[in-house]
Amino acid sequence: MSASQNLIKSSHLVSQGAEAASRLSFPCLQKYQCPKVYKAHLTPDSPPLLLKYRFQKQYRHPSLDVNLTRSRIAGEARALLKCLRSGVNVPGIRMVDATEGVLGIEWIEGQSVRKLLPGESEGDDEGEGEVGEEPTDEEKLDALKEYGVSIDQLMSLIGTEIAKMHLADVIHGDLTTSNMILRRPSSSSIPDIPTQTQLFLIDFGLSYTSSLIEDKAVDLYVLERAFSSTHPDSSLMFTGVLAAYQKKMGEKRWGVVKARLDDVRLRGRKRSMVG
Amino acid sequence: MQSFVFDHIPNNNIAYFALYSPVQNPAELKRRIIEAAKIEGEEGDKERDAVNFAFIDASLITSKLHLETAIYQAILAESQGSLRTKTVHSEILFALNPTNNITEAIRRYGVSDSTKSLLIAHITDKSKSSSAIEEKLNKVVDGTMVSFKELDAITDWDRIKKYYKLEKESKEKGAIQSQRSFIDNVVVSSVAMKTVMQ
Ligand SMILES: Nc1ncnc2c1ncn2[C@@H]1O[C@H](COP(=O)(O)OP(=O)(O)O)[C@@H](O)[C@H]1O
Ligand SMILES: [Mg+2]
Repeated sequence: MSASQNLIKSSHLVSQGAEAASRLSFPCLQKYQCPKVYKAHLTPDSPPLLLKYRFQKQYRHPSLDVNLTRSRIAGEARALLKCLRSGVNVPGIRMVDATEGVLGIEWIEGQSVRKLLPGESEGDDEGEGEVGEEPTDEEKLDALKEYGVSIDQLMSLIGTEIAKMHLADVIHGDLTTSNMILRRPSSSSIPDIPTQTQLFLIDFGLSYTSSLIEDKAVDLYVLERAFSSTHPDSSLMFTGVLAAYQKKMGEKRWGVVKARLDDVRLRGRKRSMVG
Repeated sequence: MQSFVFDHIPNNNIAYFALYSPVQNPAELKRRIIEAAKIEGEEGDKERDAVNFAFIDASLITSKLHLETAIYQAILAESQGSLRTKTVHSEILFALNPTNNITEAIRRYGVSDSTKSLLIAHITDKSKSSSAIEEKLNKVVDGTMVSFKELDAITDWDRIKKYYKLEKESKEKGAIQSQRSFIDNVVVSSVAMKTVMQ
């Protein structure tokens, strides 16, 4: 058996398949190659990794499949590196085995934002197949307190990080509250520096590089829709996200993105009236 | 001497490594490595075995994770029959360099006449003990083996910033520890994803 297959065998399954929001917005893309994710260690003393494994589908031509897997992993890794270099909080890359379809990234100790905000419970057919139970709204707010940030501050962290990513011309392509992790303050790797709670963007499987206003506006719109479908009564929260985004982008850049976002919203509304 | 043990790798699953600082005979080491590749017959095999290590300029290594990542990608390439260089040891140097130029990788990351500190690695399987490796190593290296912790004072952050074009970006990180942790993360990530870089 190959090295990466053995590595996966020795690790723990974290979740399986894609989450609800992205499956709804990108049904065709998600059907092909949903990754499985595992927590692993390269050596017993190494820091933990998150392995994303895109298993090969049998029905497609094998060599074509390897190339598709390879280019998806390459795309995700390149977007992560571009973000890292630009100072966006994303997991570092720790190992790549494109032949076997495995991407290993830095394990971020914390909690997904989706699980820290009030919202629908899982368990229906839109569940993301994660191991473990969904906490109640009250438990979520208690958990958020442990991180020492309020909901407002959390929204501000989100808006700032997305703006940093857009300033680097990276479009996420699947912004949802599941694809953001609030990192526990104690788990930073720098020993001498008092660490604050930080927000990390994850899951760059659908990301791409673009400087187009349209792409940035659509990125924000996807998140707005994700907020309203996963977290009821969240429109004020999303306003907080945009306020921080505006601040980080600067007035001039924000002006054009804002105008385009209004446009995208209008198109979205028209489409839902027709369909 | 320390080691990384990759239990899930079918063969060659242990990497011994040691930090030597200072090193007294870098020029001789370099000459021996070059000569060993040319000598023919049994004598050549013996000499190649004597220098069968990855000799890495320690001043270009940012952390233990950096070394581990380069070693891991080299072992992975070997296990898949996709080495870009002649041996798993030269592959480590290749993995460390941001470009695909093998000569440049060896010139930058290998031993040169002016090398002061060396990180030396040997990849093998569990049947070989660390004392056997250490004995072999002490025959070729004239220098002092020190604790890996000493690397902190050896790393040449300015040169690494230059190779990875991170001068401007790292300045924005403020405190020196934040800068170093930022550079380390970018460097480790670049090594890890080198096979899908282009
Ligand atoms: N770096 C990471 N550290 C810790 N957990 C992670 C990390 N990356 C992803 N996860 C967890 O795994 C889940 C799935 O990963 P993700 O990259 O979003 O893949 P996908 O949504 O395509 O299945 C995330 O929702 C998160 O809970
Ligand atoms: Mg996801």
